[in-house]
This record gives sequence, C-alpha cells and structure tokens, in this order.
Amino acid sequence: MTGAELVLKVLQQHGIKHIFGYPGGAIMPIYDALYDSEVEHFLCRHEQGAAFSAIGYARSTGKVGVCMATSGPGATNLVTGLADAMMDSVPVVAITGQVFSNLIGTDAFQEMDVLGMSLSITKQSFLVQSLDELADVLHQAFEVAQSGRPGPVLVDIPKDIQVGSVDFEPYPIAEKQTPDFSAESLKLAKDLIASAQKPLFYVGGGVGLADAIDEMQDLLEATQIPAISTLKALGTVPADYPYNLGLVGMHGNQAANHAVQECDLLICTGARFDDRVTGKLDTFAPNAKVIHLDIDPAEISKLRHADVSILADFKKLLPALALETQIQPWQQQAVELRSEYAWRYDFPGETIYAPKLLNLLSQKLPHDHAVSCDVGQHQMWVAQHMLFSSPRNHLSSGGAGTMGFGLPAAIGVQVARPDCTSVVVSGDGSFMMNVQELGTIRRFKLPVKIVLLDNQRLGMVKQWQELFFEERYSETNLSDNPDFVTLAKAFDIPALTINQADQIEQGLDQLINSDGPFLLHVQIDEKENVWPLVPPGKANHDMLEGEKV
Amino acid sequence: MTHTIKLEANSRPEVMERILRVVRHRGFNLEEVLMKQCQTTNSTKITLKVSGERPISNLENQLNKLYDVAQLELHQSTATTGSAVAMNA
Ligand SMILES: Cc1ncc(C[n+]2csc(CCOP(=O)(O)OP(=O)(O)O)c2C)c(N)n1
Ligand SMILES: [Mg+2]
Repeated sequence: MTGAELVLKVLQQHGIKHIFGYPGGAIMPIYDALYDSEVEHFLCRHEQGAAFSAIGYARSTGKVGVCMATSGPGATNLVTGLADAMMDSVPVVAITGQVFSNLIGTDAFQEMDVLGMSLSITKQSFLVQSLDELADVLHQAFEVAQSGRPGPVLVDIPKDIQVGSVDFEPYPIAEKQTPDFSAESLKLAKDLIASAQKPLFYVGGGVGLADAIDEMQDLLEATQIPAISTLKALGTVPADYPYNLGLVGMHGNQAANHAVQECDLLICTGARFDDRVTGKLDTFAPNAKVIHLDIDPAEISKLRHADVSILADFKKLLPALALETQIQPWQQQAVELRSEYAWRYDFPGETIYAPKLLNLLSQKLPHDHAVSCDVGQHQMWVAQHMLFSSPRNHLSSGGAGTMGFGLPAAIGVQVARPDCTSVVVSGDGSFMMNVQELGTIRRFKLPVKIVLLDNQRLGMVKQWQELFFEERYSETNLSDNPDFVTLAKAFDIPALTINQADQIEQGLDQLINSDGPFLLHVQIDEKENVWPLVPPGKANHDMLEGEKV
Repeated sequence: MTHTIKLEANSRPEVMERILRVVRHRGFNLEEVLMKQCQTTNSTKITLKVSGERPISNLENQLNKLYDVAQLELHQSTATTGSAVAMNA
C-alpha cells in the first residue's frame, strides 16, 4: 500500500472514525486515500475550525481528536488550535502534508518549517524521515497524545513518503501503564488531611482528563470535605454536593474565594495554580499547607510549594485517599458561605439579563447536552450560571482563552456525540472569528444550537477599560455588527432575535425544540458586566461586586 | 546561579532546538553547550551550562517532560558564574 493508505490504516487501528481537515497540494495523496476509506472526513471551512473541532471531539469524549491540513498556510492555520490544546491538555493528533523531502529547505511553494513552528505548541512533533518509520511515528503520536498529561502531537509527512509504497504490519496497541505512587507519600497526605481543621479540595481539569470523575465524587462522599473548582473542572463536583463552593478565581464565586483564603489545607487535585485562579500568588490560600496531586511532575511546586505531593493516575490514587473527617464547624461555614453568596436572578427589568437566560437554558436542556463557549463575558456567565454534570459537557478555552473556539468545538461535540444537544454560547466578537464554520454545520446538517449573546461590544475588554482604563473605550465598539439573523439564513440556519425578558422562555424553547441547527440572537445591554471580579494584582478575597444594570 | 545539566536524548534532527527552546522559554540563559551523537545507541549526549534565578528544579522537570529526553542529571550548581566547569559529554 502507499504511505497515505498506511496513515489511514493506522488511524483506524487507533479507533479513529472521524477526522476534521482541509485539503491542499502537499496532502493530496492522503485525501486521495480518504476517497475510499472508512474514515469519515469532515471538511471544515478553515484549518483553525478543523483544529477546534478535533478539540471539541476530544474534550467531549476523552478520545483522541484528529485534524489534518496541507503544508505551509494550512499548517500555520492549525497553530492556534494546537496551542489551545497544549494549554488545556487535550489529546489531539494533527497530520500535516509537507513538500517532497528533497524540496525541504529550498523555499519551495508552500514549504514552511512546520516542525520548527510546532516545538512550543505541541507535546511532541515529528517530521517523518522515511517510509520505514511512518507507522511507528504515527503509533507514537497516538500514545504520546494520550499518555500521562495529554496534549497535542503533530506529524508532518512529506509527499514522497505519502506516495511511496510500504507493507502494512499490524501493531499491538500497548495497554495503558499507570505509575505506582509511593505508600509513604500517601500516608503523609492522609495524615495531613486527618489533622486539618479546614481542608479544601481544589479540583482541576486533571480529574476529568484522568477519567476519574466517579472516583473524585466517591472521595468527596467519603470525606465530606468542601470543594472549589477551576474553570476546567466544572461538572466534576456534583452540583448538589452540600459543600460544593463552585468556581474559584478571578470571576469565581465569593464562597469559593473566601473559603480558599481561609482553609488550612489545600488539596490540589489536577490543577496548576494558574494566575486566573490564584490572583496575587503570594496571597493565595495564605494559611494553608498544600497537598498536590497530579500526573505531571513539572506542576509540583512550580508556582506554590507543595508540602506533600503524589504523582499518580487519579483512578488509582483517589480511592486510596478516602478517610473520615471530623470537621463540622468548617462544613457549617461552607454551607453558610454557599447560601450567603448564592447567585441571584430575581432582579426586575424588561431587558434580558444574560445570567438568568443561561441559568434557565441550563434547566431546560435535555440530560445529554454539552455547552461549548467562546471567550469573554459570556464565557464567564456560562461558567457561573450553567450547571454541568461532567467536565465533558462544558468546553471552554481555559488556558489559552481563544476567541473563535466555541462554534467549531460545538461541531466536534456534535460529530462525536450525535444524540447530544450540542450548544454553543458565543459573543458577537468571538462568533465572527470562526463564523465560516456555519458552512460546516450546513454541509453535514449538524443540529448545533447557537446562542449568540450580542452586546455590540468586545465586552470583556470593554469591562476592563471601564474599570481600569478610565472608561477610554478604545476599539471595543462593535455596533456595526452584521445582521446575524440574515447571516444565519444564508447558511439555511433558522434564527430568531430576542431582546425582552418576556421573550426568553419562548426563544429558548424554539432553540431547543428545533430539529436542525438554530441561532438564537440575544440582544443584551452593553453595560452589563461580569461580577464579582478579583482585580489584577489583588488577593482573591478582595473581590469587586457590581450591580446588575 | 549557574547549573550544569547532563542529558541523554533520542537523536532526532530537531532535538537540540527542542531542548534549547525550553531552556530559554523557562527563563534560563545558556552559558556553554556540548553535544555529541552516539551512533551505537542512536542517542545524543548533551551537556548544558545554564544560568538563571528561577528554581532549577522547574527547568529539570520541563526538560524531563520532553518525549525525546531519556535521561537527565543535574551535576553542579554554583552561586557564581566565574568558575569553569569541565564539560565532558
Ligand atoms: C483570539 C483572541 N483575540 C483577542 C482576545 C482578547 N479578548 C478577550 S475577551 C475579548 C472580547 C470578546 O468579545 P465577545 O466575543 O463579544 O464577548 P463578550 O465579552 O462581549 O461577551 C477579547 C477581544 C482573545 N481572548 N482571543
Ligand atoms: Mg460581545
């Protein structure tokens, strides 16, 4: 068979049924092989869309997402997506075509040093050197993408290798090996937990990545220790867990931020002390000892010294941590914090209050749903006001904060989980960054539900200008946006605009009950801000509260 | 602080770039470097002398994380950059 055919064979060996991509000269042999392959290809309308769809596919299932592009500009268009996957530890394999080996380094047409570009935005990358190593490199790519802390891997394949002929040899897929953790550290950790008066779980995305959501929930059940969550962890701690204090950090719940400042033991479980979580780092959890649990050694004591650390697969580790605690006063305090700072939606007014709309949407959605969002105020409102039953149902560009993530991610979700209600909550700024993917929705008749929160502003930037730049609104006014309903209709997507509170109910019903895709265009007040907020350089308990406009 | 790190890595053409990129990005300056291909084991032996104020354990961890890095040892850390360190790969 040809190298190109081999590529598809290896994908199939790894259980890959769907890939996202865009063709071009240097990858034509692989597209030719796709023509009669069982692997189903989803043509996106921009390689960035393909990368984000692969991310959506991966994040909503835990499987590897695959994207493909041609050399040069095709590959550079993948870059933002791969960087996003790197920062959020998403298992993605990107395959790029490269010019003929003998043309590499000659400035040939669409010849770029993709391997060089990939170094800082992938977990590992390969420029395939020969046909002999092609299969092996591809197998390694899948293994690296999924092992330990997951991440994106790029394989750049010169055209001569795609067209060359090679024998296909079946390859035994290795069983996942999980490292053993030290019994000694486990004992130290349990002793610390047992003696703490105010222990707190700081739950991160690592729990979901390790597929250890049940184990985490069992551990909470056993220990009854209060918990706070990062953006990526939302959905891990059950919404009805009595000591669930919600999102921590810059736009976190006050309950979570006050609890973390007061705890005497912080059990960091697959999180990484990101600055959006900690605020001013040396004021974060000032009274706490730290237990750091992770699979990645490089996270331990990177930003905050760990008194005890355990490197382990959470599926094994978390059950071993179970113990009974005696922390009634602290639990009581958690319950009080939770009720004191519960979100409120009972504000009067005729216009649409986005947090209330999102909260209602959350209640109305069928059980099997996933929400992808873009970046900005609307993203924070999704995190604050929607409830999730698994981190696989909340896709938000966390580490990278990439506008344009939402729509293609929701496409990836819909391909991976055809029966799921795949919703994207976008902003008027972000939506335009990958708006071409409406073409993908149309092409594959994907019933993606789009909620477009339109404040005619780059709202999050505008909020910072208002608070920290003396209301000098430089380049954040989008009041010349296109007519989004007409835009949707150009792609055969039915759409509706609402702008009054009494239209919310009907608008959401129409969105959810439509058979195919639907765009709900929601006009909101541009003055509505995200509260609370930890100002830059401040400690987490120094939160600003604002008023609903 | 100056530190000497000895590494053994898979000998892929880009491995040196990969390692040097991590050194720079994680906040260290390269003071000296020695690199040698070992044909029999298909590996590359590298000795790096780096300086920087951040904890060297962070750099060790980030280098160790590279898929192509097979072994890493921290050999010497000194407070000044003055003294010469023998560089034998
Ligand atoms: C690719 C990219 N460019 C710029 C930014 C900086 N940025 C963060 S939020 C934001 C505004 C987003 O506007 P919109 O999508 O309308 O969301 P809103 O905040 O109004 O809800 C911008 C420009 C970013 N995060 N990503
Ligand atoms: Mg906006």
